[in-house]
Amino acid sequence: MLLSPYEIKDLTDRRLAASRADGCIVLVDGREKVNLRFARNSATSNGARSTVDVTIISQFGQQSGGASVSSLDEAALEEAQRRSEEIARRTPADPEHMPPLGPQSYAEGIAFDAATAGARAGRLADAAHVAIAGAQEAGVDAAGFVEAGASFSAMATSAGLFAYDRGTVADLTVSARRKDGSWSGWAGGSQHRIDELAPDRIARRAIGKAAHAGEPFDLDPGQYTVILEPAAVGELLGFLLWSFDAREADEGRSWLSGKGGATRLGEHLLDRRVTLTSSPADPLAPVGTFGREGLPNRPTAWVEDGAIRTMFCARFWAAKTGREPRPAPGGMVMAGGPTGVDEMIRATKRGVLVTRIWYANMLDPRSLLITGLTRDGNFLIENGRIAGPARNFRFNESLIAMLGNIDAIGPTERINGGDMGVGALAAPPLLVKSFNFASRSSSI
Amino acid sequence: MHLQHQCGTRPALRATHRLTSPHQAADLAAGFDRAACTELADTALRLARIAGAGYADIRVGCNQTEFFYAREDKLQAVQYALEVGFGVRVLMNGSWGFAGSSTLAEAEVERMVARAVENARASARIQGAPIVIEDLPAYREDWIMPLKTDPLQIATDVKAAHLLAVNAAAMRSGADFCSATLHTVREQRFFASTRGSAIFQNRLRTSPGFTATATNKDTGKFVTRDSLAAPRGAGWDYVESCDLVAEAALAGAEVREKLAAKSVAPGAYDLVIDPTNLFLTIHESIGHSTELDRALGWEADFAGTSFITPDKLGKLQIGSPLMTVIADRSQEGGLATVGFDDDGARTAGQEFPIVENGVFKNYQMAMGQAQYIGRDASNGCAYCDSPAAFPIQRMPNISLQPNPQKTSIDDLIGGIERGIYIKGAGSWSIDQQRDNFQFSGQLFYEIKGGKLGPMLRDVAYQSRTVSFWNAMDGLGDSSTYVLGGSFFCGKGQPMQLAPVSHGAPAARFRGITVLNTEREDA
Repeated sequence: MLLSPYEIKDLTDRRLAASRADGCIVLVDGREKVNLRFARNSATSNGARSTVDVTIISQFGQQSGGASVSSLDEAALEEAQRRSEEIARRTPADPEHMPPLGPQSYAEGIAFDAATAGARAGRLADAAHVAIAGAQEAGVDAAGFVEAGASFSAMATSAGLFAYDRGTVADLTVSARRKDGSWSGWAGGSQHRIDELAPDRIARRAIGKAAHAGEPFDLDPGQYTVILEPAAVGELLGFLLWSFDAREADEGRSWLSGKGGATRLGEHLLDRRVTLTSSPADPLAPVGTFGREGLPNRPTAWVEDGAIRTMFCARFWAAKTGREPRPAPGGMVMAGGPTGVDEMIRATKRGVLVTRIWYANMLDPRSLLITGLTRDGNFLIENGRIAGPARNFRFNESLIAMLGNIDAIGPTERINGGDMGVGALAAPPLLVKSFNFASRSSSI
Repeated sequence: MHLQHQCGTRPALRATHRLTSPHQAADLAAGFDRAACTELADTALRLARIAGAGYADIRVGCNQTEFFYAREDKLQAVQYALEVGFGVRVLMNGSWGFAGSSTLAEAEVERMVARAVENARASARIQGAPIVIEDLPAYREDWIMPLKTDPLQIATDVKAAHLLAVNAAAMRSGADFCSATLHTVREQRFFASTRGSAIFQNRLRTSPGFTATATNKDTGKFVTRDSLAAPRGAGWDYVESCDLVAEAALAGAEVREKLAAKSVAPGAYDLVIDPTNLFLTIHESIGHSTELDRALGWEADFAGTSFITPDKLGKLQIGSPLMTVIADRSQEGGLATVGFDDDGARTAGQEFPIVENGVFKNYQMAMGQAQYIGRDASNGCAYCDSPAAFPIQRMPNISLQPNPQKTSIDDLIGGIERGIYIKGAGSWSIDQQRDNFQFSGQLFYEIKGGKLGPMLRDVAYQSRTVSFWNAMDGLGDSSTYVLGGSFFCGKGQPMQLAPVSHGAPAARFRGITVLNTEREDA
């Protein structure tokens, strides 16, 4: 369900007026989306979904409680509000509790497109048809997911804050597999405007990787020069979204914790070409206009020229440590460079091109050591050209080491982050040396 | 995800009233009104028939969740949520159409039936292989999970005090930080289909837990130790029986010990794996590899396929003869325990072996899949995480059966010259066909000459599904059996989270590769 700011203001005004608490926060979220799935060149499932969720947080002094309901019905909202007050009255006081935030100034959201908000299953089937027809022509099987729709998020407080943001997204991912299951390829795209999704280009990339000639090389695990395509880089960058927390760094339990109790803010931990930013105005991957506590999302450089520049900080910790409060990034963009993937291939004597990674998980949060696997499009590069498919690997690699071992950076692309529910991400392809492939994976 | 106002604080059964206004829809949300559910369902199924659906079903539901979070001596969040909604599925000329909403009102049902029909017509254009479903029997029954003490009826301050006591115990015994959580979900669902089914179900699950952290600010090092308590389909009595305060007191000392423990030397080791760790290895390597939709390629774009292709049915020696794995939706306390699945298939009496004496015997199936392996019908493994989500095949409880011969953990350890004993689930990862996996844990102890030695850290074991399970040469008896599980198994697009349990005894594995996960150069 999509609501305008006026409809929401009407709702939140009523709830704030009905509050019996010292402080009250009302959050309203909603979405209206449609998706379609296919596999083995045929439709499997689909769904249109319309939801709304209202959360009311009541505060009595330092006591706080929250209750939400997926309904706009006044009786249900009233019940949720009374429940949040009842919870608050029965919770122990939290000395870290912060009263509701007052009025803020927010950026104008740029991520809404009416055509995408109104997209229906027929439009999605057009995109899926492109992938399936292409796969049939190439003699491979296509599986994929296409989704489009809109969402909004709003917040109002008894201290006078009102925030509203909305956005649209259209995603398409295609996995193509040889009929005998001996190789696969993947490609994906994500846009705010469905008209820019380019299903034909996405399908061609996935199918081309799957249909690439040759049986996969069986390489030994070890350290390789790798070309990580943007989807692979973006998946790894997702681990950084919550890793810039000032409090964790201060408390000695973060990759940003230094020896002797200091943080590593300002240190050049990464290659000088690494810059990580987030902004509601970013043209590729704009983040929302406000964060968790109602704080505005402002253009922020988290890492600049390889140095740690900014950490996010909740209001309580900011007040305690004398910092400016800042919300966590709702997404991230890694600055690009001039070297395209083709040029990276030409510059590589022996290496592996990685299309996508899978099931990445943290092994050691201190070194940001991540494990995971390559998937759907690993290729051996020899003497400046693709020699053929190369079997998948498990990697165990530190993000700090990886972002310190960069040989070249390509143009930044928006990454499909829909599957894992991470925020908007944009990443470039990277040419990285000494990337640690720890074991073989025979899986396709 | 997570919340509560006892859907049952109002009478569960109300007089019939017409759901013509959102206000009445709110009454349904609060009371899970049987008559109102039936009325919504009748409308949906009638409209689906009129539109030409050969089959249609609807789930109307109410999920209540309550989530507590405390760090150190401060209770930082108590959130209750009530999610209501419905989802209509129509099968038209061999294509599915689905639409769901959180607005429980007749007009919204009409809108969503129309959207489901529209989706089915759009899908028809790319429907190379028509959807065909078996004719499942119709049921008109209720199923209610037995529950001793409803955690949603326990006062907020009592639950808050419990979590703060957990943190205090960990801090007293050596932790620098401790955060404790309590997560409860009540899932109430009504299913109706054009076959004539009308099924009401009500179940509840609880997940208590904590994480203790120790830091060394001089070196910048830090380690954590998570609670070993498992989530269960059970109530407050289960939470109390976990005695998290006692475990936290132990954990505070253990996390301090872990910070100073010897970093493991990588190499091949014999392992004794505690059920608090092994449940997750079963989940990833056996549970996901034997999902038929994956084996058929239907999840190829995200969750993946499976190395266990249908030609291996009844033939693959997936593990040692000690290994028998049973799937059920009836185990007491199981997170997947329920009377009927989300296709309306009865689950009681449908227990089936996935692995018998090491041989792969059966897949998990939802409606419309059995025909692809020459079977008659689903074995009751459909689930959707919201009534407004499309039901897909999800795991039942999948458990490794204990050794009928008396075998203790000490017996298993006693048979090892050089090895490691692993407890608790840590970092986990497995490839998209469920073969190459790597798992860490919470606690690791050296085994030398058949005896347990000092604590180790930085341990992860890496193996392949078939070779790992065939390397199992020792299995604990029922005294070592623990029912583990997770609230959050992700699968599907858009991703849906399913709760699932896995029981396991302790087990011994020979010659498994162990890695050191510390990276000093970073």
